[in-house]
Amino acid sequence: MIDSPGTSTLIVAYASDFDGWREQARQLLKAGIPPARVTWRDGSDRNDDLFSMGAESLPIAPNAPTPTIARAHLQALSRAARYRTQPHEIGRWPLLYQTLWRLSRGDETALNAADETGAEVQRRQHAVKREAHHLHAFLRFHPDADARGECFVAWFEPAHEVLDLGAEHFADRLGSARFRIATPQGGVEWNGEHFTYHATCPREWRARAQSAASADEDRALWRTYFVSTFNPARLNHKVMTQHMPQRFWRHLSEGDLIPALEAKARHGGQRLAQEASVGERKGKALPPARPERDADA
Amino acid sequence: MELIDKLSILADAAKYDASCASSGAPQRSSRGKTGVGASNGTGICHSFTPDGRCVSLLKVLMTNFCLFDCQYCVNRRSSNIPRARFTPEEIVRLTLSFYRRNTISGLFLSSGIIRSSDYTMEQMIEVARQLREVHEFRGYIHLKAIPEADPKLLEQAGRYADRLSANVELPTLTSLKTLAPEKELGTIHTAMGQIREGIDAANDGARADARHPPRSANPKRQAPRYAPGGQSTQMIVGADATDDRTILQSAQQLYRSFRLKRVYYSAFSPIPERPAGLPQAAPPMLREHRLYQADFLIRTYGFQAEEILGKPGNLELDIDPKLAWALNHRDGFPVDLNTAEPGMIGRVPGIGLRSVQRLVELRRHRKIRFQDLVALRCRLETLKPFVVTQDYRPADAARDSQRLRQTMTEPQPAQLALI
Repeated sequence: MIDSPGTSTLIVAYASDFDGWREQARQLLKAGIPPARVTWRDGSDRNDDLFSMGAESLPIAPNAPTPTIARAHLQALSRAARYRTQPHEIGRWPLLYQTLWRLSRGDETALNAADETGAEVQRRQHAVKREAHHLHAFLRFHPDADARGECFVAWFEPAHEVLDLGAEHFADRLGSARFRIATPQGGVEWNGEHFTYHATCPREWRARAQSAASADEDRALWRTYFVSTFNPARLNHKVMTQHMPQRFWRHLSEGDLIPALEAKARHGGQRLAQEASVGERKGKALPPARPERDADA
Repeated sequence: MELIDKLSILADAAKYDASCASSGAPQRSSRGKTGVGASNGTGICHSFTPDGRCVSLLKVLMTNFCLFDCQYCVNRRSSNIPRARFTPEEIVRLTLSFYRRNTISGLFLSSGIIRSSDYTMEQMIEVARQLREVHEFRGYIHLKAIPEADPKLLEQAGRYADRLSANVELPTLTSLKTLAPEKELGTIHTAMGQIREGIDAANDGARADARHPPRSANPKRQAPRYAPGGQSTQMIVGADATDDRTILQSAQQLYRSFRLKRVYYSAFSPIPERPAGLPQAAPPMLREHRLYQADFLIRTYGFQAEEILGKPGNLELDIDPKLAWALNHRDGFPVDLNTAEPGMIGRVPGIGLRSVQRLVELRRHRKIRFQDLVALRCRLETLKPFVVTQDYRPADAARDSQRLRQTMTEPQPAQLALI
């Protein structure tokens, strides 16, 4: 369909985010360039590349149709794009373009978990979903105050690009209250009406989140609750760590209690469900009649 | 008594209730509003204690003073334990503080019975009312329904709560009579029936609203919500001699009669001041786990309790109930994944419902091969004798179930609790 740039020239495409990738991918699809001929680079690596041509300069037939894929498929791809790859894994953009190439040619199995690349896209999607869930679950806010009043501050270390998903979630939960989430990469602030994103998190946010955590007056209440709600007769380390990986513990106010609770439960305290310190308090059996006097005492 | 001491006692007293779900609530958001809290249907586990249980809600008793003397209960009146009572304001303060810090998604409030059932229920409703009306709290609320309380109070409770639950605690009438002589199965069932009626009526109202949009234009005229997260209950496992078949049959009956969302099974944990006749052994956690698996088969796979356990007795501990069923029904296997009904693929041990969906989707485009099961990460060692694909037939199809079972169970199955 396209004469130049020939059938063997390599194309270099640049993308720094999903929208950028989508734009490039659309051009490539329209020009009929198969995945094997595309080298993807991060947008930040962009410089004058003398030996290859960029996707923008591709000749496209004027009446080439705009490729379309199902909305659900697009969502799957954008979710998988949030995955942070390890050095040994295939990069996000080539993987997504391989999948898109097949989808656009009607190959519906390209996203099925039984397909090799489909399985990888699914795995990444799943990892991202799980990390967003971790963010919703294990992020902790602590009250802090600045010139504009009270603000709930948090520090979190997400394994994938899920900060914005978390911010939306917490805006629903906290309503008009202000909050701020700091991460090793970006940061976000909610003023009760809109978000302000920082690609690089302001340096003092982390320190403030940490000092707010240790100064939090209700910290002791939560730690007490955590100890009391634990049933030492049912100790189950494996299930706990499966659901709450250890990398999160050090930022939880209850995190340092876990090893001690486990050790105590293992060495003798394990028989009863009751927390030992509660058992040591003075007890009170009630008479069969009129226990309400005691209740009101 | 300081708030922190009350919390220590009343959280300890509430841990015997297994439920901590915060799922099933309708969409609510506080964005752009005063007040705090949201729910979106999916539950969040904000922490896990070293027993592997999820911490999703602030789960406390309003008080552990109690008129009743149920033998299995740590809070029974004859038990020599420390007693405490929260004021409604104290529970509200704790809920809001923990919620803002993102350590919980809501409140699960239960209570010992003080003065009267009505009084106790009123006090619990007051907590929920303050949260919803004074503080505009939109997080999850689960209230324990006191069975003997006035139906009007249950009605009120369902207006504030996302979920209501009345615990049957013991699966048979005989056990209830022996261990909880002051409780009556009849009143528990009546309460469950009332809750079901409330939920059904609210659903009917919501459907009517959907049919006649003008009626719902005015929010005040919309059908009132009633326990939108449904109702649940709990049965204690291992405090009495009831077998698993009886437990599963009563669970099935409860699902059918009252359309319960969930039945929770709570392995009996030894309690201080143990009354005579109650076990002192470690909680039967593996048995509890097998019951949850069987319960899941009943709720989502379309199994009947009687299929899972054909005769009186307990579930096998060393293999899961789906594998046990398949081994007892070899005549229905192997199943050809390219032609079988989805329901039958779901009955293959080692293939879960999500994989069923994916296989059915895949076979619209091409034939299923064994490699697909590898890619879908099904439990290959378990499913091998039970499936046929385009390129695979089980070599051990003729082997008898007893020998098959031996090859599939680990050399030393963990028979005791998962410690």
